[in-house]
Amino acid sequence: MHIIKLSAIDSTNSYLRELASKKVLEDFTVAIAKHQVKGRGQIGSVWNSEKGKNLTCSVFKRNCCVSIDDQFYISMVTSLAIIKTLQLFQVPKLAVKWPNDILSEQKKICGILIENVIKHQDIEGTIIGIGLNVNQTQFKNLPMASSLKNLTGTLFDVEELLVRIVEHLKYYFEKLEQGKHDFIKRAYESLLFRRLKPSTFKDIEGNLFSGFIQGVNTNGALQILLEDNIIKEFKLKEIQLLY
Amino acid sequence: MDLKEIQNLIKFVAKSGASEVKLEMDDVKITIKTGSDSETTIVQQVPVQAQMPQAVAPAPAASAQVQDAAPAVVADENSKYITIKSPIIGTFYRKPSPDKPLFVEVGQTIAEGDVLCIIEAMKLFNEIESEVSGKIVKILVDDASPVEFDQPLFLVDPS
Repeated sequence: MHIIKLSAIDSTNSYLRELASKKVLEDFTVAIAKHQVKGRGQIGSVWNSEKGKNLTCSVFKRNCCVSIDDQFYISMVTSLAIIKTLQLFQVPKLAVKWPNDILSEQKKICGILIENVIKHQDIEGTIIGIGLNVNQTQFKNLPMASSLKNLTGTLFDVEELLVRIVEHLKYYFEKLEQGKHDFIKRAYESLLFRRLKPSTFKDIEGNLFSGFIQGVNTNGALQILLEDNIIKEFKLKEIQLLY
Repeated sequence: MDLKEIQNLIKFVAKSGASEVKLEMDDVKITIKTGSDSETTIVQQVPVQAQMPQAVAPAPAASAQVQDAAPAVVADENSKYITIKSPIIGTFYRKPSPDKPLFVEVGQTIAEGDVLCIIEAMKLFNEIESEVSGKIVKILVDDASPVEFDQPLFLVDPS
């Protein structure tokens, strides 16, 4: 495992993306920052992290066999690797809030930012950004955020967490490369937050409706069992889960 | 093939003086007869799975002309330019984040491997690299709008 340690950087994803365009990187090359100054989330959103207390890192993986239509499997593999790691450390009530927010006790503890490089209609490589709240205890203006320290009461070794996460990423990527798509999808679905529980959703027009999360399709769309006993699939911006 | 094209085809055949034209394309089979005063048109949708013979049945000269005429119109607009299409369904972004400059603008020269846009699908961010070099002639989609699979995104002048 090749680790690049950075004391301060704008964004580990941007750093690794830049590096990958300049030289050939080994699979699972990791860039880890003590202080990520301009962490990115979704387009236009930021990921703030207190200096030296959390895991802010990015992992490079060259793509060998995931087709562009199966790219959601990269997201599932990442969520699985993080949750399986945190289970080893007895982090309570872990779940994935669709599509890829990692929750513990309903609080968000980890964000994932996956960036693919597409050329000739194929995924060339992937950069997986992970922001895991570890030893930070104060989250100003973020009532839904928490950290491993707040949830378990103990301090964690950030680098040990990183090594374990990368081990799990290797394991699940191997499964993906062996074509065990069903195994990955089932494992991911079993971790979905509020799966098979009566839940309330808000659609794009602001209407509320209730249903039961069943799973996802291979594109990552969320399958919800509605009142009239039909299963409907929703894409990302079409619904919001209220909880 | 849309209704307008079929109508034009009927007019064309009627003028040509041919008594019957049969045309088979991908999933459409059209027979136009102009034997009597009235035109009869049969448009038959063939299931995609069916093995369709690619060759057009021997037909009068009128049919051949029709086939030549149709692509010519398309070629006029597109022959010079390369269309870059979306490889996936998602949301099209012209910049990496709102405060950053655009990846590319109209008139800009691009090289193979340059990032043209991001297409976001289910929180996966796909940087689309150019497969061609040339000049951006037109950007066909607005920033932050949804795109379908195969939807044209950019027109590039490779010359």
